[in-house]
Amino acid sequence: MKKWIAGAVIALTAMTGTAMAEGHGDYPERPIMMMVSYGAGGATDFQARIVTMTAGNEDALNMPVAILNKSGAGGRVGWNWLATQADADGYTLGAYNVPHFIAQSIEGGVSYSTDSFEPIANWGADPAVFVVGADSEFNSMEDVIAYATANPGGLTFSGAGLFVGHHIAALQLEKAAGVQLAYIPNNAGGAGAMRAVIAGEVLGGVNNLSDAFRAREAGTVKILGVFDVERNSFIDDVPTMMEQGYEIDNASVNYRGVMVPAGTPQPIIDHLAAIVPTMFENGRVASRMEAGGSPMHIMNRDEVLEMWAQRQVTLEALLADL
Amino acid sequence: MSDLPRTQHIIASGAIAAIGMTVAYISYTQEPAGAFVFPRLIATVFAVLAIWTFAKAVLGRTKVGQGLSGSDMRNLLPGLIVTLVYAFWAAKELGFYTATTIAFFILLTLYDPAPHNAPKTWIKRVLITAGFMAVMYGLFAMLLNVFTPREIFS
Amino acid sequence: MEFLFYMGDVFTPINFGLLLLGTIGGLILGATPGLSPTMTVALMIPFTFKLEPQQGLILLGAAYTSTVAGGAVSAILLKIPGAPANIATTLDGHTMAQNGQGAKALQLSFIASAIGGLFGVFLLIFLTPVLATWALAFGPSELFWLAILGVTVIGTLDSSSVVKGLLSGCIGLWLATIGFDDIMGAQRFIFHPALGGGINVIPALIGLFAIPQVISMFAKGRANVDAEIITVQRHPIGAAFREIFNRKRALGIGTAVGSIIGLIPGVGGQIAGLVAYDQSKKMSPEADKFGTGHPEGVIAAESANNAMVGPSLVPLLTLSIPGSPTAAVLLGGLLIHGIFPGPALFTQYPQVVWPFINSMLIGQILMCVFGLMIAGWAANVARVPRAVMAAVVLGLAVFGSYSVQNSMGDVYVMASLGLAMHFLERFGFSAAPLVLGLILGPIAEANFMQGAMIANATVGQMTYFFTGWLNWLLIVIVIASISYSVWMELRQRRYTTKEDASA
Repeated sequence: MKKWIAGAVIALTAMTGTAMAEGHGDYPERPIMMMVSYGAGGATDFQARIVTMTAGNEDALNMPVAILNKSGAGGRVGWNWLATQADADGYTLGAYNVPHFIAQSIEGGVSYSTDSFEPIANWGADPAVFVVGADSEFNSMEDVIAYATANPGGLTFSGAGLFVGHHIAALQLEKAAGVQLAYIPNNAGGAGAMRAVIAGEVLGGVNNLSDAFRAREAGTVKILGVFDVERNSFIDDVPTMMEQGYEIDNASVNYRGVMVPAGTPQPIIDHLAAIVPTMFENGRVASRMEAGGSPMHIMNRDEVLEMWAQRQVTLEALLADL
Repeated sequence: MSDLPRTQHIIASGAIAAIGMTVAYISYTQEPAGAFVFPRLIATVFAVLAIWTFAKAVLGRTKVGQGLSGSDMRNLLPGLIVTLVYAFWAAKELGFYTATTIAFFILLTLYDPAPHNAPKTWIKRVLITAGFMAVMYGLFAMLLNVFTPREIFS
Repeated sequence: MEFLFYMGDVFTPINFGLLLLGTIGGLILGATPGLSPTMTVALMIPFTFKLEPQQGLILLGAAYTSTVAGGAVSAILLKIPGAPANIATTLDGHTMAQNGQGAKALQLSFIASAIGGLFGVFLLIFLTPVLATWALAFGPSELFWLAILGVTVIGTLDSSSVVKGLLSGCIGLWLATIGFDDIMGAQRFIFHPALGGGINVIPALIGLFAIPQVISMFAKGRANVDAEIITVQRHPIGAAFREIFNRKRALGIGTAVGSIIGLIPGVGGQIAGLVAYDQSKKMSPEADKFGTGHPEGVIAAESANNAMVGPSLVPLLTLSIPGSPTAAVLLGGLLIHGIFPGPALFTQYPQVVWPFINSMLIGQILMCVFGLMIAGWAANVARVPRAVMAAVVLGLAVFGSYSVQNSMGDVYVMASLGLAMHFLERFGFSAAPLVLGLILGPIAEANFMQGAMIANATVGQMTYFFTGWLNWLLIVIVIASISYSVWMELRQRRYTTKEDASA
C-alpha cells in the first residue's frame, strides 16, 4: 500500500514536473535560501556557509544562497518546518544530517521521514569518535569497556543529544561491547558535550571527529576510537572500533548535505542535482573545508538516495531494541 | 487603595488562575512523564500563586495595577484592531512591505492630532510613511537580505 | 604586554578602516530590533572570506563589541531591547528618555559600556589562564544553582508586588517549556503550529517590551500634543563623565558582575545585565529610585553587558570551546582561515590573535566616541509625535521578529505575547521577571536533567547537587537572596512606587 502511494506520488510529481518545466527554464531567477536546523556557529552551519559560498558564480547556480538558521530540539524544529511549511518551489533548500533526521523520524513525534525530502547532494561525512579528557586514565577502548564492565551503568559519557549520530554511536557501542553505559545528552550540542569531557564532568564522550581533532590539537582530549569502517586521514593514528574488536559500522557517521522538500518540481531537482556537486568540488571550497578540519565526502543524488535507504534499514533495526 | 477596580482584578486574576490550573492539569496528564517533570514543578507553583492572587482580588486586597478605563479602551480599540489585522493576517497575505505601508498610514491617520481636513497634513503623513518604508526596505531587504513573504503586487 | 607590540597593526590604513566599518556597522545593526550580536557577527562572516585572517578578525572583534552596546540605543529610545543583554537597560533608560533625559541616558550607557568593556578585555589579556579554570568550574549542578539564583531575583525585579513578580516569573518559566524539549525531544504545550519551535527569546523580548508601549500610546488617543511636549534636555559630555564617576558603586557592581558571569558558558551574556541591575538596586541606598529613570540602573546594566564581552571569549581562545553563541560564530571566523583556537593560538598566530583583541579594545573606545557624538542628536527621537512613534515601533517589531529566523510564527508569538503583556501590565504584572523566567527556564531544566542523569549513574542526586564549595557558595547566595526579599517585603510591605510614579 505504502509503495503504491509512493509510486502515485512520484508519477504525480513527474507529471506536474513536465507541465511546469517550461516555467522553470530560467531557474534560479532570485536568491535561494538554505535552511540549517542548527544554530549559527555550529558545525553544520559553518560547513553549510562554506560549501554554498561559490553558489553565486556563473558556472554554479548564478544566484547566492543565504543561510537561514532554525534551530531547536536536535534539528526537529527546522526539519519539521521544511517538511510542512516551506515552499517546494526550488528556492528553499535544507541541509540534512543523517542519521539524525532518519533516527528522529523512526522514533516518532515529528512530521517528516525520508519521503518528505528529496536529496540533492552530500558534501561531508563527519564520523563520531570516542574522546576522554587529556588526563584520563583511559588509553584505549579496552580500558573504557573494562571500567564499564566493572561498573555497569556507571560510565558516564556525553553526546550532542538523543537520536542524533552520537546517540546512535553510543547505542552501537553498548550493543557491540555488551555493556550498559550512561549516555548523557547535552542540551548545548556537540560543543557542550565536549566541554563536559574537558571539565571532567563525565568520564568520556562521543563527539564529532572535526571538533575532537581540534580539541586534540589544543591538548585537551585524547581520541580513543573512530566509529567508522576505516581510519580517517585527519587522525590516522586512531584505530577504528572494528580494529579494537567491536562490531560497529558507519551507521553513526554524520553525513551532511543538501535536500529540498518533496514536491519540488523534478526539473529543478535535476538541475540542482547536476550543479550542486560541482559547486562542492570547487577548489576554494575544498581548501576552506580542509583548513577548518571538516572532512569532505561528495556524493551525488543517486548515491545519497541509496545511503538514505540503507540507513533507514540499519537504524530501524538498531532502534527497535529501545 | 479603594480606587482599584475590584471586579476587573477578579476577572483578570481569575483568567490567570484558570490558565495556571489548565497548565497544571496538562502537565500532570501528558506523556512521556519524564519530559514533564520540570513543567509539573513550575505549573504547581504557577497555579498556587495564581490562586493566591485570585483570592486576594476577591477579598479586595489587590494593591497594584490600575486596571482598564473606558476612555482608554475606546481610544486604543481602533489601533488594536489595525495591529491585530496587520500582524496576524495582512503581513503574510499582502506581503510585508505592502501591509506595513497600509497599516502605518492608517495608524498615522487615526492617531495623528493634526486636522484631517487640511490637505497639507495628508501630504505630511504620506511623506512620513514613504520615508519609513524606504528605511525599512533599505535595512531589511537590501542590507540584511531578509526573505519576506511575497508581496501581493509583484 | 605583548598586546602593545601588536597595537600598531590595528592602525594600518586598511585595518583601521575595517575597524571603523565594524564599529559603525555594529552600532547600526545592534540598534536594529531583532538582530542580536550573534546574528550580526554571523552576517559579517561572509565578508571575512575575502579578507586576510588578521583583517577579518579585526572586523569581527570591532563588530562584536559595538553591537552589544548598540542594543542599548533601541532599548533606551524605543524600549525594544536588541538582545537579552539589554533588557535591564530599558527599565531605567527608556523612562529617562521619556523624561527628556535621553541624551544623558545614551551618554551614560556608552561611557559605562566602554569602561566595563575595557575592563573585560583587559581581564582577557592578563588573566586568561586563571579564567579558563573558572569557566570549566561550572558543571550541571553549578549551572542549576545559578539558574535558581536567577529565579530568586525574579520576585524583586522591577515589580511592585512580590507575589505578582513571582507569578510573572512562573508564566515566563512555563512559556519556556513550550515546544520540543531539548533533551528528550518530547512535545510540550504545542497548541498552535507557530509554537512548534518553542518561544524564541528575541521575538518574545520585542513583543513583551515594545507592544505594550505601542498600545499605551494608542490609549492616549488623538489627544493634543501641545499639552505634553517633551523638552529634550541637552547634556554636556563632561557632566556625563562626572556622573559616572560619582556613581562608582553601580559602575563597579556592573563591571564585576558582568566579568564574572560573562565567563560562565551558555548563561552569562543573557543574564549579566539583569543580575547586575538587581544587585546594584539591592545595594543602593536609593533603591526606590530604580525603575523611575535612575541613572544607576543604566550604568549597572550597560557596564555589565559589555564587561562580559572579553571574558566570554576565554573558553574559546584557550580551550577551543565556544562558551556563547557569538563565540561559536567567531570560531567559524577563525576556522575559515585555518586557525585553530587553543593554548597554542597565542604562540602560533600572535599576529592574528593580538590584533583581534586589540581591535576590541580600540573598538570600545571608538564605539564610545561615536556613541557620544550621536547621543545628543538621537535623543530627539523622544520628540517624535506619539502617532508616528507607535507606528514606527509596531513596524520595527514585526520586521524585527520576522527577521530572526524568517518565521511568520515568530511574528504571531511576538504579537500575542505583546498584547497579553499589555493587559497584564494594567493589572500589576511586569515584563522583566517574565522574560527572566523565559531565559532561565531552559538553563535550569536542562542542567537539572543532565545533573540528575550523571548523578544517577554515579554518586546519587543528593551528593551530586550538594557537594563542592561552588555549589555551597551558590546555595548560600540563593538563601541570602530569598531572605533579603522576604525581609524587604516584611519591612516595607512595598505597595506602589513605580506604578504611581509613572502613571
